[in-house]
Amino acid sequence: MYKGIGASAGIGIGKVVIIKEQELNYTKTTITDKDAEKKRLADAIDVFVEKTTALAESMKVTAGEAEAEILQGHIMMIQDPAISEQIEQKIDEESINAEAAVEEACDFFAMIFSMAEDELTQQRASDLGDIKTRLIKILLGVEETDIGAAPAGTIFVAEDLTPSMTAGFVPENIEGVLTEIGGKTSHSAIICRSMEIPAVLSIPEITTIVKDGDIVVLDGSTGEVYINPEESVLEEYKAKRDAYLEAKAALAKFVGKPSQTADGHVVELVCNIGGPDEAPGVLERDGEGVGLFRTEFLFMDSDSIPSEESQFEAYKTVAETLEGKPVIIRTLDIGGDKALPYLGLPTEENPFLGFRAVRFCLKRIDDIYKPQLRALLRASAYGKIRIMVPLVTCVDELRAVKAIIEDLKAELDAEGIAYDKDIKVGVMMETAAASLIADILAEEADFFSIGTNDLTGYTMAADRGNPDVAYLYSTYNPAVLRSIRNIIAAANKEGIMAGMCGEAAADPLMIPLLLAFGLNEFSVSATSVLQARKTMSLWTMDECKALAEEAMSLKTEAEVKALLEERARS
Amino acid sequence: MVSKKFVVQNEQGLHMRPAGVLAKAVTKFESDVTIVYNDKKINAKSLLNIIGACIKYGSEIELVCEGPDEEAALAHATELIESGLGE
Repeated sequence: MYKGIGASAGIGIGKVVIIKEQELNYTKTTITDKDAEKKRLADAIDVFVEKTTALAESMKVTAGEAEAEILQGHIMMIQDPAISEQIEQKIDEESINAEAAVEEACDFFAMIFSMAEDELTQQRASDLGDIKTRLIKILLGVEETDIGAAPAGTIFVAEDLTPSMTAGFVPENIEGVLTEIGGKTSHSAIICRSMEIPAVLSIPEITTIVKDGDIVVLDGSTGEVYINPEESVLEEYKAKRDAYLEAKAALAKFVGKPSQTADGHVVELVCNIGGPDEAPGVLERDGEGVGLFRTEFLFMDSDSIPSEESQFEAYKTVAETLEGKPVIIRTLDIGGDKALPYLGLPTEENPFLGFRAVRFCLKRIDDIYKPQLRALLRASAYGKIRIMVPLVTCVDELRAVKAIIEDLKAELDAEGIAYDKDIKVGVMMETAAASLIADILAEEADFFSIGTNDLTGYTMAADRGNPDVAYLYSTYNPAVLRSIRNIIAAANKEGIMAGMCGEAAADPLMIPLLLAFGLNEFSVSATSVLQARKTMSLWTMDECKALAEEAMSLKTEAEVKALLEERARS
Repeated sequence: MVSKKFVVQNEQGLHMRPAGVLAKAVTKFESDVTIVYNDKKINAKSLLNIIGACIKYGSEIELVCEGPDEEAALAHATELIESGLGE
């Protein structure tokens, strides 16, 4: 058994076809007719552009627009003055053949990119490698291997999947992919995921370990690979594959459907995100909005307080990407446990009970809180933004934040800057205190979102990361369940939205209880949306309420958990 | 010579797609078009140079145009950058 990086989920069972990089046989030679050589180069580039355009077109169909763009990027790169001038210059000044000039120029740029700090730029290096190989093949008149000719049930094995290789894929025939290099963010991974082909990457020497025709079983989630496995293993994985495909099809039915119980009680199903780059994923996974946009990334990725302007751009981007769907943005929720010297957070003995989140922000109004709130207000003109305050323990904190917001609104009015005049301001309910005064908070907040992760920790007075007490950290504890029920009831009574952004919202064991309690909005990770929608659809409200009544009469966490597990539906 | 400052709005910075849109657009003008970023001068007509500069989301850049059609070049580039460079 071999283990690599599971880069594209699914089980692949099939026969190996090795894609070998052909040897490009040429040497660097001195040429005499520079003009002729430059003409050869120009003609080859024309052919390259023509072929790549055709490949990009066919890729739009097999893999999608975004993936086809990678190939269009190749066209832009080869036509870029920086590279084309360098290649021609080499021919002129060094009198070398086109193949050598192309190789040297491409390698030069590839090296610059591979030394860049961010992964995205580093990947451009492999683009240049692909361009170099293909352009030289055209110059040499070497034929490309016909990837499209692979039969059904093929597992492709290669050192790396280049965009031009994947352009030739006929996805129906491909059961899986194995490569020697690459990770979850490389081209190969992205292409395989969009074509839904299971893939395991980064298995050194795999192209020499297997031979054409070998039977391979691969698990694109765990990264496990079996070569010519025994009958029992083969049967086991065939069953796993069938189960996986069935589950996938079952979930696909829920795309575009309302999030509701079997008897039509509708709720909002939205997503938690940690940055603007995760916003498109919300729409791709059929989320109905954003229930928690954590803003700490802006502060973590910086070595000074992020400007109002840069914050505004981030919030605006997400508001616009979500196209009018609600986006709940939580103000800075950070404390002494994160080493951010520029913020001046104290080293404390108990950072989780200390100077953090709203307590910290209310003491740093001018340099930290106002810029963030101003940025949020300005961004609210571009979508449906709602502001959420973290770690509230008393109504004074909510009032203080709302007062600052009113001051900022007056400022913006005077400056003639647009913002949502009816912007909603809500509370993240995550402390025992908040739960106990939920009725008071509900009168002055526009919505609640329950952060069950911290609520559980603070209520059970236990740190989930401490192995000696982690057993106490469980949402199924009667204390935590009563808190949750109380918070939702207080919200329902005042007619404000009761939402939840902690992990419990996606828990199939908790979903029927939450529905019974009256939760209006469930905010989960993008990948959990369809599963949560499916779980809800399996219960009627009466069934949920009956289960909740039983669960809430139990006295221990173990009993509650046992009951929920016994009655679980999936 | 004319110039203008911008804050990069593209989520992944000036990577392939937006860099390509910009390079393609300003190449048409006769004037030299340069991006000044962290004191570095980058030829805006070269996609590879823009990508190589790793200009991240939220960065401040200055676009400098110099030549016979500098005003038109800056105006066109401004429109594209402010509308997100195709993203």
